[in-house]
Amino acid sequence: MIRKAAAIAGIGQTAYAKALPPAAWELAVEAVLAACADAGVDVADVDGMCRFTAPFETVSEAMLVRALGVRELSFFAQAPHGGEALGAVVAHAAAAVSAGLANVVVVYRALSQSRGGRFGRADRAGGGAGESTADIVVPEQDNLSFAWPYGLMSPGQLFALWARRYATVHGLTDEDLTRTLGTIAITQRQYANSNPAAMMRDRKLDWETYQNARMISEPLRLFDLCLENDGACAFVVTSAERARALRDDPVYVLSATQTLSPYREPMGIYTGGEMLELFPPAAADRLFGQAGVSRKDIDVAELYDATSYMTLRSLESYGFAADGAGWRYVLDHGTGPDSPLPVNTHGGHLSEAYLHGMNGILEAVRQLRGTACNQVAGAEVALVGAPAGSATILAR
Amino acid sequence: MTVVPGMTELTAPYWEAAREGRLVIQECRSCGQLSHPPLPACPRCHGRDLGWREVSGTGTVYTYTVVRHPTHFAFADTIPYAIALVELAEGPWLITGITGCPPDAVRAGMPVRVVFREVTDGVTLPYFEPAP
Repeated sequence: MIRKAAAIAGIGQTAYAKALPPAAWELAVEAVLAACADAGVDVADVDGMCRFTAPFETVSEAMLVRALGVRELSFFAQAPHGGEALGAVVAHAAAAVSAGLANVVVVYRALSQSRGGRFGRADRAGGGAGESTADIVVPEQDNLSFAWPYGLMSPGQLFALWARRYATVHGLTDEDLTRTLGTIAITQRQYANSNPAAMMRDRKLDWETYQNARMISEPLRLFDLCLENDGACAFVVTSAERARALRDDPVYVLSATQTLSPYREPMGIYTGGEMLELFPPAAADRLFGQAGVSRKDIDVAELYDATSYMTLRSLESYGFAADGAGWRYVLDHGTGPDSPLPVNTHGGHLSEAYLHGMNGILEAVRQLRGTACNQVAGAEVALVGAPAGSATILAR
Repeated sequence: MTVVPGMTELTAPYWEAAREGRLVIQECRSCGQLSHPPLPACPRCHGRDLGWREVSGTGTVYTYTVVRHPTHFAFADTIPYAIALVELAEGPWLITGITGCPPDAVRAGMPVRVVFREVTDGVTLPYFEPAP
């Protein structure tokens, strides 16, 4: 049981922008130093690191240990599946701290999409392809070789398939789906408009602009898809006792859960079963059970939103709305500051920045400290969740 | 430039059959389980005696999307195009493309049948078109 055994004692982030001069390595250094300063720990004392696996995270522990002058790591771990790992890295860090494998664990995520790897720009792979017209041979990994040749290459396209399936199964008209996804996108933009760190802080989004935006992969429009950017986030996990000694407002890890079943790997192809991107109900129950809280205890949720559809579906996955009822919930109540459950209060990946869920964790920490831009009054418990892979519940 | 599947010991028979105009799905000789994409062992009985079964090539569109912005420059000249998840009459799902009708005409539940599209000298991809 990791409930309240570990806590987040510090958070740090760089600026977020479409392109930043520093490479991911330097961004990671900046974010980790900021997180350690916020926690009041000497970076030399860091003895654990958790991160996403390559290629999602290009900055290795070894690179950071060398660049930061960390004396020695006694624990380091990586979690696969990109943003699906947002709760996994918390689980690993909290487990390491509570098992005594490490005392000060840094979790980090650095991204430099301006140097390649942007889905929205139709990049030439690696930038060095030049005039090459050679065929691209897709390696047989996670079944990608059965998807890419048909032009199914991005999460946006994958979730367009699921959004269409959702509308088909639950009887939504195109208008219903547009109203639902647009409500989510516009609400998140409004949050971002009052978040100085958000890339979209100065860009308003109204219904006309939303609806008239070009389709990227039907039924998803431009504003249903996340930003692509450079930036880094980091946070420091330590024992609850040490966190209390470091600061007055530690944020406790109540639970962190991973889940993996056949065909649930992202982009892994999707055969058999129904609506496989759903966070399994048993895993959601485990998340809440281990935390010792119920759905109605959650004051604010930061739900992974590579697309607006994932916010909608996650409301159902985590049990805030019944299966298939999330769209009516969004239309009736919304996800704004006065709704029963404010969601993605920083603007999310759609409007703050895209840091694979790590910026959602940082926002949850600010909410629980009472220092968020769009502060939910009296927030005590927050859920940060990926669509299908992992999640965490945090509390002040 | 074309995006083509890498072929391994496990997957090559699927693509080789497609070149011959046949749609095949991996089958467990012990329990009859169909697996797509192919696996090194049967996930149901763990049998290792696996073969290939030629299937009807008919099915229905489970879900689809019409891509209007290319994710990758290799597809820049093919937009708009329809990607679909097709549920075969025999059960398994395939990621595929829909051809033989405008992308806008694709609908969930639409009956479809396989057609084979040679995309390079060595590679043929199973696509699906509206069934009559």
